[in-house]
Amino acid sequence: MTSTVTIQERQTKVTRWLLIPGIIWMSLFLVVPIAMIVYVSFWTQTTFTITSDPTLASWRQFFSSDTYTGSLWTTIRIWLIVLATTFIVGYPTALFVGLFVKSKTLSTVLLVICVIPFWTSFLIRVLAWRPMLGKEGAINIVLLKLGIIQQPIEVLLFTELSVIIGMTQIYCVFMVGPIAFMLSRIDRNIIEAARDLGAGFGRIFWKIIFPLSLPGVIVGAIFVSVMVLGEFATSGALSGRKVNLLGNIIVTQVGSLKWAMASVVGVVLTIVMGIVIAGFLRIVDLKREL
Amino acid sequence: MNKQAAPMDGRLYPGEVIVDTAVFRLEGVTKRYGDLVALDDATLEVGANEYLSFLGPSGSGKTTLLRVIAGFEAPEKGRVHFEGRDITNVPAHERGIGFVFQNFALFPHLTVVQNVGFGLKHGKSGLSDAEVERRAAEMIALVGLSGMEGRGVDQISGGQRQRVALARTLTMKPKLVLLDEPLGALDANLRSRMRNELRAIREQLGVTFLHVTGSETEALAMGDRVVVLDRGKIIQIGTPGALYAQPASPDVAHFLNRFNLFDGQLAKGSFTGAFGTVAAPRVTRSDRDVYAVRYDRVQVLPLSTKPQGPALKATFIASEYLGSSIMNFFDAGQGHPIEMEHHLSLGAPDIYEPRQDYLLTWNPEQALVFGREAG
Repeated sequence: MTSTVTIQERQTKVTRWLLIPGIIWMSLFLVVPIAMIVYVSFWTQTTFTITSDPTLASWRQFFSSDTYTGSLWTTIRIWLIVLATTFIVGYPTALFVGLFVKSKTLSTVLLVICVIPFWTSFLIRVLAWRPMLGKEGAINIVLLKLGIIQQPIEVLLFTELSVIIGMTQIYCVFMVGPIAFMLSRIDRNIIEAARDLGAGFGRIFWKIIFPLSLPGVIVGAIFVSVMVLGEFATSGALSGRKVNLLGNIIVTQVGSLKWAMASVVGVVLTIVMGIVIAGFLRIVDLKREL
Repeated sequence: MNKQAAPMDGRLYPGEVIVDTAVFRLEGVTKRYGDLVALDDATLEVGANEYLSFLGPSGSGKTTLLRVIAGFEAPEKGRVHFEGRDITNVPAHERGIGFVFQNFALFPHLTVVQNVGFGLKHGKSGLSDAEVERRAAEMIALVGLSGMEGRGVDQISGGQRQRVALARTLTMKPKLVLLDEPLGALDANLRSRMRNELRAIREQLGVTFLHVTGSETEALAMGDRVVVLDRGKIIQIGTPGALYAQPASPDVAHFLNRFNLFDGQLAKGSFTGAFGTVAAPRVTRSDRDVYAVRYDRVQVLPLSTKPQGPALKATFIASEYLGSSIMNFFDAGQGHPIEMEHHLSLGAPDIYEPRQDYLLTWNPEQALVFGREAG
């Protein structure tokens, strides 16, 4: 009797061995650092030193300063706007690539084309917007030459608008990919069936295509949200220091060795992301869809 | 059906009335995909409340034919008429023709009742939500799914999905319903049950059905008439009985899967094949010489018998019990399998020894001969 190991016991053992590397990795590089950041956010910070005496000073400072709360609202505002613009630009693209293009090869090629900008470095992609949007940049020159405008448009660069344009371009593909994937999985017969039942294109889109692509929209939105909420480079390079996101605050605080404040902002950012992701996951049951 | 209907240019002769009993008519419909001719000059008439089955191997154009009728594909040539009007250029959703897909194509995110009511709710019916609900529930009851209205379509079985697909199409009250291998995805047991239900639904609603299938049993069982297709061409149209008794060509005989076919030579009223030379009094015209003997016409004799008429030495391989009959498989050499069916109502079957040689024979009166030299 002692030597009989049931299949179930053996499977439990295998499961345990398969889980161990992941658990170790996640603990070392996710759980422990997050706990550390939360801990450090309660440390006492003086101008040049930091001690582990617990205090709420940094937290109080964060919520009483207009600079910090303002940057929290700016982050949320920019995140919502970029989420909307990536969706508005990305969904039609995904619709074309994933649904209207009938050949699988062509749709793969088109998706790869969407990804090509990612072969260059992030910084180049961001900085390349400067000669595009600047006062003497490509867009102003073309519009002036065409006689559409008489004066160069100055709001294009070093404003919130330029940050939004840059982020939309950079993160759009993360919206397109998941949506195109979900759309390409829709059985064409379903659409023909809906048409056969007398539904027009609008009805077919809103009642069939859009609901079936929703998991893709949610996954795309999660990708874009996570990246935009933690952004600092695009706003740093394209806003001329006018747009301060939580990410930029962390960068400056770390730069001036203000670890406690940096940790507070880090914790706030993590909580915001957690709420956003949890909210998105409530909309669709991804376990069922993927 | 009614050749005197209307002159070709569509104008009527004085005093003439169109006597068009056909609900549906195809005239010389041709459809190509690149170089491939998927449909070649298909002409067909279907009467009201008729059940027509389309039989053919895969790639014979039967699904294309259905898709052209439904309006999912446009033909290169030819016209499609439905209920007295030319619908060749009418879009699918304005044709009033129902289509049941091979894989059912249910809306995966909707419940049973939402699926069934989809056409009424989102089409041009203009019905109130309550009326949509009532008619959907009525149709769900008709297909025997009452009590499942609120289930998601991934929570029901294959047979139930099939019924939802059917109900979804039937709520629109189409005069013509196209079924694309509707039973192909079901297991044998469910298939025969769904066959009965399709028949019952048809009795109740008076709908014309066009049913595409790759199964000769299904085609013969379901169809008032059977249309046999091969390589995009309609090669025979007839009642199941007529088809069975008199296939128009060796290909039809082959698709029916009830005939042993022998190649050979037809000359001066007799056919020479592996079984000897036999008189062929009645010959059906065909582009090749083929001799066909139905499975249940073959007789098996011991090798020692002195044959009279056609005879073929063959090795017994195996037998298959089919309930009402036994199918015996013989090998006549060169990989030419010969099947012999013994109906159990005719008495207990003879037992044959595997790998033993026997003599196969038949009454030449009951054989079918196809040939270039038609009598």
